[in-house]
Amino acid sequence: MPFGTPPRGQVRGWHTRAMIWNDPQLLAQLPVLVWPLLLLGAWLIGEWAHHRLALPRITCYALAGILVGGAQLGWLPASAEPLMALAAHIGFGLLLFEAGYRVNLRWYWHNPGLLAAGLLDAALSFVGVYLVAQWTGSPPAQAALIAALGMAASPAALVRVLQEQRAAGQISERLVHVATLNCLLAVIVFKAVLGLTVFEQSGSLVGALYTGVWATAVSAALGVMAGVLLPWLLRSRVLSGDRSLPYALTVLALVGATHLLQLSPIVAALVFGLVARHRREVFSRHARGFGPLGELLTLALFVYLGSRLEGALALTALGAGLALVLTRLLTSCAVMTALARWSGTTWRKGALTGLGLMPLSAFALLLLEQSRHLALDLLDGLAPLMAALLILELLGPVCTQLALRWGGELPARAPEDKS
Amino acid sequence: MSLLPFSDSDSLSFGVELELQLINLSDYDLAAASTDLLALLQRKPFPGQVTPEITTSMIEIASSVQTRFGPLRAQLREIRDTLLAAAQTLNLGLAGGGTHPFQHWSEQRIFPKARYQQVSQLYGYLAQQFTIFGQHVHIGCRSGDEALFLLHALSRYVPHFIALAASSPYVQGQDTLFNSARLNSVFAFPLSGRAPFLLRWADFETQYFEKMTHTGVVKSMKDFYWDIRPKPEYGTIELRVCDTPLDVDTAALLAAYLQALCAMLLDGGEPPPTEDDYLVYTYNRFQACRFGLDGITVHPKSYEQVSLREDVLRTLRRLQPQAERLDSVEALEGVHELVYRGNGAQWLRDARDRAGSVEGVVDAAVRRFAGVA
Repeated sequence: MPFGTPPRGQVRGWHTRAMIWNDPQLLAQLPVLVWPLLLLGAWLIGEWAHHRLALPRITCYALAGILVGGAQLGWLPASAEPLMALAAHIGFGLLLFEAGYRVNLRWYWHNPGLLAAGLLDAALSFVGVYLVAQWTGSPPAQAALIAALGMAASPAALVRVLQEQRAAGQISERLVHVATLNCLLAVIVFKAVLGLTVFEQSGSLVGALYTGVWATAVSAALGVMAGVLLPWLLRSRVLSGDRSLPYALTVLALVGATHLLQLSPIVAALVFGLVARHRREVFSRHARGFGPLGELLTLALFVYLGSRLEGALALTALGAGLALVLTRLLTSCAVMTALARWSGTTWRKGALTGLGLMPLSAFALLLLEQSRHLALDLLDGLAPLMAALLILELLGPVCTQLALRWGGELPARAPEDKS
Repeated sequence: MSLLPFSDSDSLSFGVELELQLINLSDYDLAAASTDLLALLQRKPFPGQVTPEITTSMIEIASSVQTRFGPLRAQLREIRDTLLAAAQTLNLGLAGGGTHPFQHWSEQRIFPKARYQQVSQLYGYLAQQFTIFGQHVHIGCRSGDEALFLLHALSRYVPHFIALAASSPYVQGQDTLFNSARLNSVFAFPLSGRAPFLLRWADFETQYFEKMTHTGVVKSMKDFYWDIRPKPEYGTIELRVCDTPLDVDTAALLAAYLQALCAMLLDGGEPPPTEDDYLVYTYNRFQACRFGLDGITVHPKSYEQVSLREDVLRTLRRLQPQAERLDSVEALEGVHELVYRGNGAQWLRDARDRAGSVEGVVDAAVRRFAGVA
């Protein structure tokens, strides 16, 4: 204790100040300050990099998180972590709701080429990543898990980049639709593989599959219920103002409920968004993105994700990680390009869509976290995966931005109004 | 630069150009999708013409030269079906309507074509604000003199077309109380308004057009944004005041009405036009934009004030002989029904009441254009 213990009965000015520094309870609370300051710092870096270097903001948020993360500078207090994790999960839920909301299910029906492209991309990514993971030394069970993760693209990061860049066009639409589809497939496959590996020891294969699919189905059912119930509740004309708050609260409730019941918050939030939109519940432009609440939670999400990445571990398997990333990139580009003309677009835009599907880390990290209850801390020990996620966390959004820019889907001049 | 000589055209042949809205089916806002849609449409033959417009959320279709209402309507329907099939592949909807109810002009992107970039440079935000959607009807004329005669004789009937076609009550999410708010954007351009009162093509060339090009203000006929504009390359006059109707059938009805009207005027059904006819022109035009069929129109010769609704009905009665000659009796009955049912602006306001939001209005417009509402 730098100031020493103050003598009893002597309560003068500097002794009062000294007492504050000596109070253990108060000291225990101080770390609470670290996160807001960190978020502020991350936000500033994000703005600067966005304006000067034209980088997506979420890349910078993640970079800030990585730098001060537990495995690097270690400035983050463990005590505040559950709160940050919760904020991250809710932020992710809100973005997934946005993504589901942007999906038009009828488009898959009218454009079978798109549906085929999504399914083929998922299938080939799984196979490709599985083979490469095994080749880089992972045992089959782990390789299957990595492959399941590799099937997806993170709708959250995509939606964020699209919103930030004000992108519009075929690539933007396809990114959201393919990513949502693949994300749902990836969750199902991941849970199935997890069920298989966990229950393999206990012997019930069918039981494992059943649990995996059942969890996804119940989560989807919860999402559907929310998506039908909420528009019905809000149908009164009296409530004709900004509707985004009740939706944000419902996402919160869904995320919380599915966590408690050990189901899939990802599926629940996505399906909620899908159903809400298809009940013709329409948000006005400025209500989308959930305003400042959404901004704050997105910031928290990406900083938190950055902090979960362990740089040292990742660096030990950088080559393997790079191989995984490139496999995903090549399969996505190949599939999207091959099916481009059938799905109504040009080869160039097809290839760029494949490039834009790179972001993964948000989805993968949170899916892994949500599986922690099965007493499998998969992140530790999966060095190639960690490396891949590190690369994608930083470069994924950049790839998407490049794909949009090269596809001509960004406005020529950034509009003045950023609301 | 001298004016192109007026190419003679078959009398009373007609054609329709429609500017359509490209709607993003995810949020019902305008979609910057004309490049993608055109790329897709190029793969197959198109039953008409399809071209881009100044901003990428607009697409323009044109029928071929027709002479009768029936085939025109059939062709427009075929064009609509082709467009819808392609749009569906791209998650797009199509809608009529003179304005998009809640688009923001600052988000519109200029189509990458030289002329549009030049216009954008010259007119600044007016170019993006020109994300408005109109119907242009061309009527074939046998000579430049006939064209000018029809142009000035039709001035009395311009409010009819404004009121019948009006379908732009909403701008930036708000009810403007106008039936056609679109025309306010057109009037902002310096070269809008009406043609000078000259009845001989030679006079028009020498006394007006050559002088205007000499000043350097104007390079071609395209630079004028008049309500009725001669198009010497086609040998037609072009009526430009109509908002895009909410479905292609109404577009065909309006074209047939114009054709019958021109036939009546050429038959000598009205006294010859004079400069003084334009004394009441801007007032009548404003009434039509603001109040639609409930607006008051002042007769340019007798100065009688009647509601537009009444004036249209009277005119329809007078056009029976021409309608029979041109096989457009069905079309005039359709216009009659339109007068009673109400115009597009009325329909959009009703849709807003039913849906409770402007996004719902766009949804309703998309479904009506597709013919499913």
